[in-house]
Amino acid sequence: MNKPLPLPLFTLLVCPALLSAQSKSPDLSGYWELRFDSRNVPPASLIVPATAAERAAQVKHDADAIRWCHFFGVPYMMAWSPVEIVQNTNGKEIAITSPVRTPARHIYTDGRPHVSAETFDPTSTGNSIGHWEGETLVVDTIGFSDEGILAIPGGGTRTATSHLIERFRLLNGGQRLSVVFTWEDPKMYATPHTYEFRYYRAPPGTEAREFDCNASDAERAKFLTSIPGK
Amino acid sequence: MLGAGGDWLMNQRFRNTVVKGSAGAALMALALGASASLLLAQSAPAKVPDLSGFWERRDDVGGGNFGGILEKIVPKASLTPEVVKANQETAARQAQGEVVAFGSKWCLSNLYPFFMQHSAAWDLFQTQTEIMQAAEVHTFPRHIYLDGRKHPSPAMLVPTVNGHSIGHWEGETLVVDTIGFVGGGGTPGGGRVGKNTHLTERFKLIDGGKKLSVVFTWEDPAIYLKPHTYELQYYKSEPGTYAFEETCHADDPKQSGSVVAPGQKY
Repeated sequence: MNKPLPLPLFTLLVCPALLSAQSKSPDLSGYWELRFDSRNVPPASLIVPATAAERAAQVKHDADAIRWCHFFGVPYMMAWSPVEIVQNTNGKEIAITSPVRTPARHIYTDGRPHVSAETFDPTSTGNSIGHWEGETLVVDTIGFSDEGILAIPGGGTRTATSHLIERFRLLNGGQRLSVVFTWEDPKMYATPHTYEFRYYRAPPGTEAREFDCNASDAERAKFLTSIPGK
Repeated sequence: MLGAGGDWLMNQRFRNTVVKGSAGAALMALALGASASLLLAQSAPAKVPDLSGFWERRDDVGGGNFGGILEKIVPKASLTPEVVKANQETAARQAQGEVVAFGSKWCLSNLYPFFMQHSAAWDLFQTQTEIMQAAEVHTFPRHIYLDGRKHPSPAMLVPTVNGHSIGHWEGETLVVDTIGFVGGGGTPGGGRVGKNTHLTERFKLIDGGKKLSVVFTWEDPAIYLKPHTYELQYYKSEPGTYAFEETCHADDPKQSGSVVAPGQKY
C-alpha cells in the first residue's frame, strides 16, 4: 500500500504545478505555417448545389476582390502562411494576422458576448469571441459581410447568416497547431461543414510579411483579367 | 486551466492528510509560502507595463478637428532645402487644380505613421516577445519584435508600409526603433518618410494608465535638418470597445469622388 506524502513535501511538490495549471492557458502566440500536408478538407454538404451561373458569379466576386484589392477576410486569410497569433499576456484578447490584404482578426476572450446584430456593422472577419475549454481555445464568430473572398474550403460561401466555430489546440509539444473549422449556415449547409488545418510552428526569427496590393497597377490588372498566356 | 475537477482533487488530497496541532499548521503555512515564492520566481517574467488595449486620440487642446489638433501640438519639421523646394513645387501644382496623390482613389495601404494620427482607434496586443498594433484604417498590422533580434541587413531588408520595428524596455518605457519604410509617406508637422528614414518612438503609460504617451523622433539627413520630434497622447478606449473595418473599394465610382483617375484600360 502506498503511503501518502508528508503534507509539507506534498505541498512543495504539487502546489506549484496546480497553481500554475490553474492560472495558465496554453500560449498559441507565434507564427504558423501551412504546408502541403496541412489540410484535411472534405466536401461540404450543400442544401442546394449551386447552379453554373451562381458558381460563375461567386468566382467573379472573389476574383474581383483580388483585382480590386478588397479586404479578403475569413476564411481566406487563414489559408496563408505564415499566420501569426498574438495572445495578450493579460488574457483578454487574441489577434490573428495574415500577410494578405486583410485586417487583423480580433478575438475577445474577456467574457463579453457578441455585439448585437442591431449594433454591429458586418465585417470580412466577423465578430469573434473566444473561451478556453481545457487546453482548447474555442472561437465563435458571426457578423460576416459580403466583403472579400467568400469561398469556403470544401464548398459553399460565407454569408450574412454564417456561423463559424473554431477549435485551436497545440499538438506535438507545441510544434503543431490544429484548427478545426466548423461552418453552420441554414441557407448554405445541410449539415455543419467541418475541416481541419494543422499548422507547423515557423522557425524562430520568422517575421510578418506584407503582400501589398495596388489596384492602380495596370500590368497587374491586365494579368488578372486577360486570357492566360495572351 | 484547472476547472472544478482540479479544485475537487486538491480538496480531497488535503482532507486525506492528517495535520496535528500547531506544528503541523506552521509547517503547512511555511510550505505554502515557499511554494508560492518558488512559483513566482520560476514563472514571473520581468514586470513591464501592460500597454494592451484600444487607444484613441481626443481633442483635449481645442483643435476643433484631428488636423487642427496636430497643428496646435506638433512643431514644424525643419526640412532640407531640397525637400522645401519639392514641397513648394507640389503645392504650386495643387494650386493649379492638379491632383497629385491618388492613394484614396486606389485604396492604397496607408503608410506609417498615418494611423497613429487618425481619429480611429487602434488596438495594441502585447506578449513578452512582440507587440502588434492593429489599426482600423486601411493598412497592415504593425509588428514590433521584442525578442532581441536585430534589424535585417540592408541586403535582406524588405521595405514595407510599416517598416521593420524592434523594441526594448527601458524601465517603464517601450523604446521602438524602425527602419525599412517603402517611402512616400508624411508625418505631422510637414515631415516626410523616405526609404532611409529612421524612427525612434518612446511609448509610456501616463495618468495611471488612462493615457499613453508616444514620443516620435524622425531622422533622415536627406529630409530633416535636425531630428523631428513630437508627442501624441492617446486615451484608453472604454471597456468593451471592439474593432471596425475600414473597407475601401477602388472599383466603386463613388470612392474616387471628384478625383480624376489616371487612365486605365483594365
